Amino acid sequence: MTEFLSLAEAARRIERRDLSPVELLDACLARIDAVDARLGSFVTLTRERALAEARAAEAAIMAGRYRGPLHGIPYNLKDIFETRGIRTTAQSKLLADNIPAADCDAQEKLSAAGGVLLGKAATWEFAHGGPSWDVLFPPCRNPWDLDKDPAGSSSGSGASIAAGLVLGSMGSDTGGSIRGPAAANGVAGLKPTYGRVSRRGVLPNCFTHDHAGPLAWTVEDVAILMNLVAGFDPRDPGSVELPVPDYTAALTGEVKGLTIGVPYRWIEEEVPASAPTRAALDAALDTFRALGATLRLVELPPLHRYEDAKKIIAMAELYAIHGPDLRKRPELFGASLRYRIIAGGLIRAEDYIQAMRLRTELARAMQAVFAEVDLIMLPSGEPAKTLQPQPPESLFTRIGYTTAFNVGGNPALSLCMGFNEEGMPFSLQIAGRLFDEATVLRAGDAYERVTPWRDRRPALVG
Amino acid sequence: MTATTEEELRLLAAKAGLGALPAAYQGELLSAYRHLEVMLARIAQDRPHGDEPAHVFNAATFARQG
Repeated sequence: MTEFLSLAEAARRIERRDLSPVELLDACLARIDAVDARLGSFVTLTRERALAEARAAEAAIMAGRYRGPLHGIPYNLKDIFETRGIRTTAQSKLLADNIPAADCDAQEKLSAAGGVLLGKAATWEFAHGGPSWDVLFPPCRNPWDLDKDPAGSSSGSGASIAAGLVLGSMGSDTGGSIRGPAAANGVAGLKPTYGRVSRRGVLPNCFTHDHAGPLAWTVEDVAILMNLVAGFDPRDPGSVELPVPDYTAALTGEVKGLTIGVPYRWIEEEVPASAPTRAALDAALDTFRALGATLRLVELPPLHRYEDAKKIIAMAELYAIHGPDLRKRPELFGASLRYRIIAGGLIRAEDYIQAMRLRTELARAMQAVFAEVDLIMLPSGEPAKTLQPQPPESLFTRIGYTTAFNVGGNPALSLCMGFNEEGMPFSLQIAGRLFDEATVLRAGDAYERVTPWRDRRPALVG
Repeated sequence: MTATTEEELRLLAAKAGLGALPAAYQGELLSAYRHLEVMLARIAQDRPHGDEPAHVFNAATFARQG
C-alpha cells in the first residue's frame, strides 16, 4: 500500500476488512524509514510495540471484534504526553531518562479505542522554548521543504501527519502550539475549549492556558479523534463536566445561516497579514459566503493585551514549575527556554493576579463577540519561513493571531487554505463559542469538501 | 514608569533564589526582565475591588476526585 489515506478512509477500509492494520503500519514504517532521518518528526519510535498492537488489532477485527474508527490506526503523541514504560522527554536534557509509570488520559483513551501507538513526536523543550539546537534532540523540519520551520511546539505531530508517517496525533496548545504546526505543515489541528480534553499526564507549560487536542490530515479525522479524547476527567482540575456531542455527526457539510465574524482590525492594522495570506483568506471567506454563510466585521480588544496577559501568567507559572531546576542546574536547559522563563521568578504576586484579572476581562470581551457571531475566522499565521534560531527576545515582542483564543478559552481550528508560490501551506483559523467545537469542525469540514487542498502531499514523500 | 535598576534586579533575583546564578545566566535574567517589565507596565493595577482573577478552582471537580 503506497497511497496516502486519511484516518477516516483508512478506518473505513479496515472496518470493511479491505485493509489490514499490519499493512497500514508497514506503509507508515516504510515512509518513516525513508524520510524521518531527515525530517526528525519522531524522537522515539516504538516499532515493536506498534507491530504487536497492529497484529492484535488485525486478529480482533478478523474475529469480529471491531472497536471503532481508531482500531488499527497508527498515531503518535507529542513527547510531553506521558506514556507508561516509554521515555517521555519533553525534548529536554532534564528528562532524558524519564520513563513514566502511568499513561496520560489521552493515551488511555486512544489505546482503549484500539489505536496503534507508533511513538513520540518532536516538540520544543517543555513545549515552550524553540526551535533549539542545544536540547536533547535537534528540531524537527517541515516536510513541504526541509529548510523550512514546521513551527512549534507540536512540531513533530504536524510534520509526521503531513508526511503520512502517522494518521493522527495529540498535541498541546498554550499560545498556538497545535494551530501553529498544523498551519505550517498544512494539516488540521484543533485547540478545544479549555476543560474539554483532559490534560492529565501532559507535562505542563502553563496551567492556565494549556490545552490538549488532536492533529490529523483532515477535519473529519480531527472530529474522530475528538470523539475519543473529549470528556470530563475528575483528575484534571480544569476539566469540565458537560455533555460531549458526536463530532462526526456534526459534519453535515452545511454552513448556511452561520454568521462569521472577521476581526479586520487585527489583520489589517495591528498585525497586518501579508498580501498573499490576505488573498488566501479572502478567497476562503468567499467560499463560505458562497456556501450560504454571512460575514461581518467584529471588534475585539487589541491582540497585544491578550499577549501581555498570557505571557505574564505563563512566565510566573513556568517559573513555579522550573524554578528548582533553574536554581540547581540551569545549564541543562536550552538557551531559548531558559531565557523565556528565568525572569518569571521576579514577577510579583500582585502582577500575576492583575494579569489574571486582565484575563477575565479579555475572555469576557471575547464571549461578548460570540454572542453576535457563530464563528470568527482569520489566518492562523503566515506560511512557514526558514528554520533558524529565533532571537530569544522574540517571545516578548512577537504578536500572533492564536494566543487570544487561549486567553478566551475558546475552541480554535487550523486547516489548510491553499499554498503560496513556494508551495508552503496557508492556513485558516476558525474559532467558535465555548464548548461549541461541533460548529467549528462543521465549518472546517464543509470548507475542505469544496476545496482541493487535501489532494496534495509533500514532494518529500512522493 | 522608572526602569528597575540593576541593583534592584540583583536583589529581586536573590529573593527568587537566583542570586548564585553563573554570570552568563544573570545576564540573561537581566535582559529578559527588561522585556518583561514593559509588559508589566501595561497591566492595569487599579481595577475595581471586586474584579475576580481567572483562577481555576471548581469545587465540584475536586469533590469528584475523592
